[in-house]
Amino acid sequence: MTLLSIRDLKLTFRLWSGPVEVLHGISLAIGKGERVALVGESGSGKSVTARIILGLLQEQRNARISGTVEFEGRDLARLSARERMSMRGRAMSMIFQDPTSSLNPVYRIGPQFREVLDRGSPGISAAEARARAAQMLAEVSIREPDRVLDSYPFQLSGGMNQRVMIAMALANRPALLLADEPGTALDVTVQAQTLDLMRGLVADHGTAVLFISHNLGVVREFADRTYVIYRGRIVESGPTAAVFGDPRHAYTRALMAAQPRLTGGGLPDIPERDPAFDAPAIHHAAGGAA
Amino acid sequence: MILQIENISKTFETGSHRVQALDDITLAVEAGECLAIVGESGSGKSTLANIVLGLYPPGRGRLVFDGAELPDQRSLALRRAIQLVQQNPLSALNPRRSVGASLRLALDVHDIGPRAGRGARVRDLLAAVGLDPALEARAPAALSGGQRQRVAIARALACESRLIVLDEPTSALDVLVQAQVLRLLHRLRQEHGLTYLFITHDLAVVRNIATRVAVFQRGRMVELADTEALFSAPAHPYTRALISAVPVITEEEKAMRDRLGGKP
Amino acid sequence: MRRALHILAANPLTLTGAVLVLLVVLAALLADVVAPYPEHAGAVVDFLNFNKPPSAEHLFGTDLVGRDLFSRVLFAYRISLLLGVVVLVISVPVGVTLGLMAGYLGGRREYVLMRITDVFLSIPPLVLAMSIMGVLPPTLLNGMLAVTAMWWPWYTRLVYNIVRGEKVEGYVLAAEIIGASKWHIMFREILPNCVPAVVTKITLDFGFVILIVSSLSFLGLGVQPPTPDLGSMVAEGARYLPDSWWLAVFPGLAILVAVFGFNLVGDGLRDILGAEQ
Repeated sequence: MTLLSIRDLKLTFRLWSGPVEVLHGISLAIGKGERVALVGESGSGKSVTARIILGLLQEQRNARISGTVEFEGRDLARLSARERMSMRGRAMSMIFQDPTSSLNPVYRIGPQFREVLDRGSPGISAAEARARAAQMLAEVSIREPDRVLDSYPFQLSGGMNQRVMIAMALANRPALLLADEPGTALDVTVQAQTLDLMRGLVADHGTAVLFISHNLGVVREFADRTYVIYRGRIVESGPTAAVFGDPRHAYTRALMAAQPRLTGGGLPDIPERDPAFDAPAIHHAAGGAA
Repeated sequence: MILQIENISKTFETGSHRVQALDDITLAVEAGECLAIVGESGSGKSTLANIVLGLYPPGRGRLVFDGAELPDQRSLALRRAIQLVQQNPLSALNPRRSVGASLRLALDVHDIGPRAGRGARVRDLLAAVGLDPALEARAPAALSGGQRQRVAIARALACESRLIVLDEPTSALDVLVQAQVLRLLHRLRQEHGLTYLFITHDLAVVRNIATRVAVFQRGRMVELADTEALFSAPAHPYTRALISAVPVITEEEKAMRDRLGGKP
Repeated sequence: MRRALHILAANPLTLTGAVLVLLVVLAALLADVVAPYPEHAGAVVDFLNFNKPPSAEHLFGTDLVGRDLFSRVLFAYRISLLLGVVVLVISVPVGVTLGLMAGYLGGRREYVLMRITDVFLSIPPLVLAMSIMGVLPPTLLNGMLAVTAMWWPWYTRLVYNIVRGEKVEGYVLAAEIIGASKWHIMFREILPNCVPAVVTKITLDFGFVILIVSSLSFLGLGVQPPTPDLGSMVAEGARYLPDSWWLAVFPGLAILVAVFGFNLVGDGLRDILGAEQ
């Protein structure tokens, strides 16, 4: 069953120099509990897509959005700003690239966690919030939840803050989690651990994930299905194994070839731009995944 | 041998905190090689780079460059001999000066070549890094990230340095751009006989560009090996843990990672 | 440039400011030509026409010795702008240089320079100028000196704060590693990045210098008669309110127009230069 459905999404920014279309008609769908990746380079439009899903761009005056974004069967454009806001942090939540700067440095983790829980269960008592928070932290393999709840973000490591962010993002049992380059600011070993953790948790909770990343390797290890986005257009999509095992679009092939291999093989000569990158999109057969 | 790093240690003190950033590092950089220093944050790899560049003195130990000990206060000639390419190409070029002016600075400071020929030299340098010489008049804002990084490389070339420190030179770049910049670095090293000290956290990049690899963990060098040797039989558990955390995209890589990797 | 015009067109306040500033500057430059009674800038007495309300002949009316107020306002603008130019020509280079040194060189120099700056900044500007004027004879030159002495620390503080941010940028590190001199790094690398903020402040300050010189003159410490000055004109005229209202109102409006105009342009410049960065 479809949880999120985006059809022909276009986004235009009005700038001093005139209108600039950043998304040229994106279509994608995420089923309940599915892990979907949107992979692309900087400027591809992957992050603005996430901001539209979160309802953050709709209020921006110089942005014009067309097409439909349906979440749990409701058209986001028909919702009021207040309804979109109440959706964020409850039915839909997010984690960002840099965990430490996403947390408020002047509050301890405990009160910040309670605020998150209060959105899902308004009026939750301090004691109950603390118990729920400790339980969530335990789920992300934090061994001393009480110490962490009494700490300020700067007293914790980046990896620990990332786990706290994941715990907070999942605290209200959202149906959809948006992860924008999670862990990119972290060391590779820590990144690997947190991704493992996240994968296990979303599976347990049945949470769907839209995973936004530029890192092919991370996407391959995390997602069930993958969309490749290039300059505001989806160029290839399908089950992750199919996209990575048999990339058919010129841009996807270039991305894969340009990725340095652990097995060696040198540095292939791949053009940064190629007219073939603008070829029509290729969609792999769903193979039962969607 | 260009640079001998002998028993270098460095401790930082902030208030009551003491952090041992480097602990007794001994390492030789050979002429013409690309020596990768691999490690995560807090490994000391950046501290080592900064000491080599003379940004601050080592706490203990010494640096021997071309057979002579490097003083803490370096002469202009010694500064010219060791140059840097930084990680972030957005900030490495002055936003209010043209690309040409940024390159010209290196030539002027070290009085390289006849004054009248320096304009032409700037254009040659841009061509050498695969850029249109007409870009000299542009402001950095008009260039892409990859183009800016090429300009930064051209600036290091302008000094005709004996050693270039590359501090995560491609980790802020997109994959396609990274591939081109890595190719450029490799080609320049071959053509000009350059020597690189390549600071990075990315083992897949190291595999394809380095000739030797030094693995750093919390201020210590835990492994030093030729690239081929390191990736066929990593000796130290930490090296194996690092390899096991590399995100990979092909089945062959996955097999190799599972064969070599250990538990982090 | 095109973007600048765009912003100007989209921002009527800045446009208004630009028109006001242009009028003030033209009035000051062309005072000899435009003023109906240029000789009234000096110690002229015309008892037949003293204290006349505004009329076609005297747009702003006449003062207590019969001089044309409109002419005197135009010449007063000339003095005010001249003062502004002199004050800023001296205090901006001094303030900017000290700010660059304190911010970039750091260490002892930073400490000493910034503490001195803080001391100056902690004294209300008018009080500082008044105390200087209390010691020195109240001449135009001393007025300029007094205002200049209290103006540079603002530029030191402004530039210091920018330099502290720029110092950690990669381009500064690159210049250091190449081996460029400290002089080069301060004035050729960092200074250009301070220019937008400094230019904006200069524009805003033109208005403030006019205001502060007028305040000093209002207190009898600035420009001395018979040289026309907006502040002393307001001070003198205020004694005859409300009957001879034009004596204070027109010079007061003249101050308002100039200060308002420069402020609007300064705000606009901040947007335009900021957007280009």
